[in-house]
Amino acid sequence: MFFNSLSFAIFLPIVFLLYWFVFNKNKTTQNAVLIVASYYFYSCWDWRFLFLLVFSTLLDYFSAIMMENSTTDKKRKIWLWLTIGINLGFLGVFKYYDFFVQSFADLLNGFGFQTNPVLLKLILPVGISFYTFHGLSYVIDIYYKRITAERNFIDYSLFVSYFPLLVAGPIERATHLLPQVKIKRHFNFEKAKEGVYQIIWGLVKKVVIADSCATYANAVFDNYESMNSLSLMLGAVYFAFQIYGDFSGYSDIALGTSKLFGIDLLKNFNYPYFSRDIAEFWRRWHISLSSWFRDYLYIPLGGSQGGMWMKVRNTFIIFLVSGFWHGANWTFIIWGLLNAIYFLPLLLRNKNRSNMGEIEMGWNFNSVKAILNILGTFVLTTVAWIFFRANSISEAIGYIQKMVTDFHFDSQYLSNERYNFELLLLVLVFVFVEWFNRSKVEPLSGKASWIKVTLAIMALLALGVYSDYKEFIYFQF
Amino acid sequence: MKKFINKIALYTFFILLIGNGIAFLSLYVLGKSQLYKNQFVKNGVKEKHFDYVVLGSSTGLTTLDTKLIDKTLNTSGLNISMDDTSLSSHYLMLQYFLSLGKTTDQLILCVTPGDLQNPVNELNNNDYRFLTEVQDTLIYNYYDRMEQGGLKVLAYSKFMPILGVSYYNNELFYPSLYAFLKPNKRNRFDDKGNFTYPQIKNNIEKGIVSNIETSYLNPSFLKIKKLCKQKGIDLVVYQSPIYRKNVVFPTNEDFKIINHSTILPEELFYDNIHVNSKGRTFCTLAFCKEIKNP
Repeated sequence: MFFNSLSFAIFLPIVFLLYWFVFNKNKTTQNAVLIVASYYFYSCWDWRFLFLLVFSTLLDYFSAIMMENSTTDKKRKIWLWLTIGINLGFLGVFKYYDFFVQSFADLLNGFGFQTNPVLLKLILPVGISFYTFHGLSYVIDIYYKRITAERNFIDYSLFVSYFPLLVAGPIERATHLLPQVKIKRHFNFEKAKEGVYQIIWGLVKKVVIADSCATYANAVFDNYESMNSLSLMLGAVYFAFQIYGDFSGYSDIALGTSKLFGIDLLKNFNYPYFSRDIAEFWRRWHISLSSWFRDYLYIPLGGSQGGMWMKVRNTFIIFLVSGFWHGANWTFIIWGLLNAIYFLPLLLRNKNRSNMGEIEMGWNFNSVKAILNILGTFVLTTVAWIFFRANSISEAIGYIQKMVTDFHFDSQYLSNERYNFELLLLVLVFVFVEWFNRSKVEPLSGKASWIKVTLAIMALLALGVYSDYKEFIYFQF
Repeated sequence: MKKFINKIALYTFFILLIGNGIAFLSLYVLGKSQLYKNQFVKNGVKEKHFDYVVLGSSTGLTTLDTKLIDKTLNTSGLNISMDDTSLSSHYLMLQYFLSLGKTTDQLILCVTPGDLQNPVNELNNNDYRFLTEVQDTLIYNYYDRMEQGGLKVLAYSKFMPILGVSYYNNELFYPSLYAFLKPNKRNRFDDKGNFTYPQIKNNIEKGIVSNIETSYLNPSFLKIKKLCKQKGIDLVVYQSPIYRKNVVFPTNEDFKIINHSTILPEELFYDNIHVNSKGRTFCTLAFCKEIKNP
């Protein structure tokens, strides 16, 4: 069941009405209905993976209690590593086993040893990377005594399986979400209205922007060898907007949906393409994952406390792990590596925290510099996205090579397919709308909101891509 | 809470009202145009009777040139083929053609071996083009029968046109704006319903010819055959060239088969299953010869 599907459009109002009208007695009944809804939501992909979700919930729930009850640090550590080991073990088997075995076999074959690797070819349970990290943050926080173990199983189950964030995040923290599920929620008109606006804007991002761009980007990436420089450049730019619209649109729908139930989720995107450097980009893109890696990997590894060498080493580690988190393919690892390389000059010059404030525009040199920096950062991230999108490293290199050496800029593909110059216009309008609303959660609220909402719905109806349906990209992770 | 639900309900009603109004207008304008083949047959073709009509998918659209046939055989023909469709759509198109009060002596049915032996009919990619006629029972019943799933977007557009028009916005809504400005514009076919692929160097892989056997399992084919018999239409099954394939038809005595699967030289192909403009002339002349001399 996807957020942009008819089944979700039926599911959500039913859960909403049950939640506020039938099971609104206390927080336990509210939580219970959300758990049932979440399990149903998850089972719509493959009911067999529900066992995995239940197992993960039970494992983290009991090990957190055992950890808290342990009298010695050694026992606490054993429980921590046992939980981490089992959680990552599942992730490893389902997501990475085939990759490691195949890579090892390729390496041996390279040395002349013939191998016939046994591959599992398992279906990846949807959302496994998200809820595994979700649970890990909880047990690590317990270990470091940042929070106390949750004893109420219903509350904890909802924390793990809450359907708006279950399959593609944001990756929540127990310190943020658990306190909200432990109290009864009361209906708040303003919050619900914000939620609806955010859902509508998320749908616009996904169905209008991402899916329109996908039509073009897919055609270019799938046939890059016959494309000229202009088409390849546009293909890369459209993919940049596809993945942004797709993932941030999903996050907006998740946050908006959650607001309808009176629960706030962590912000996951903050207009990342308006970043002035790559460090700022990573503070604005997939925020819940970036901060997860910062808090549970970068800082435990020593963070920036041990001098420049340790800072550089740790930065490279988190970018490589982040790339690998996305998928078992060398392309994701190279994507992570490229971002680490982009980050390096900032790190060496201690400039990685120089663009912390909001962008202020005026008729001055600083504004021109800011715009050039934004464009430069966008180009860098777009080049990195080519590796993210390509099926192999050689394909990505071939794509970039053709893009910068072909030197043909006629509108080859652009003029004769269903999406031509109008798509460019659509993307530009989208960029302007986001730019002028960059201080807000979404552009629909504020003055004349009903006109903006009407326009957004009209855009959904008139510009949305439905007959060429596309799934959310991040579901595969 | 009540305020929230009331507002949502009111807003939904408002959007549906406006949206359906626009969608209705969109279908109305498109229905008066000649953009797609069904609208062309209805609004752009004045003749009532034809000696023959060519019916099929993209191969039917691009292999036989009705203008050349008419010139060669001194006949009057029309191409009512529609690309990206299959026998179920062809059957619908034939029914629709006849329902407009038009008649033909002969039906040249362009088939593909896979489609001909496919026992299961599904909705085709370009069936949405008939949506302008969804109020017609023939079209509505077709959508209702062919669409799968809970929400039959095309069939339910009879009552709520916003469904089909927004689902196929790129294919229906924008073309309707275009059709409003240019009502006589046709979507890639000429005034006799033909289209041709350009003569460019093809990239087809070389190899030896192999046989493909086909059979008449498609229920829509059987319905077409039955309808032809009822209406006294002479059915001719035409197989266009397929690169490196020799289509083998089961013998029958009910209809004539013109099998051109292997007649075309390699350079006259546009791709594996389509001919280029020279290939079209080649096939059309060969067709004329065979139809004249059975």
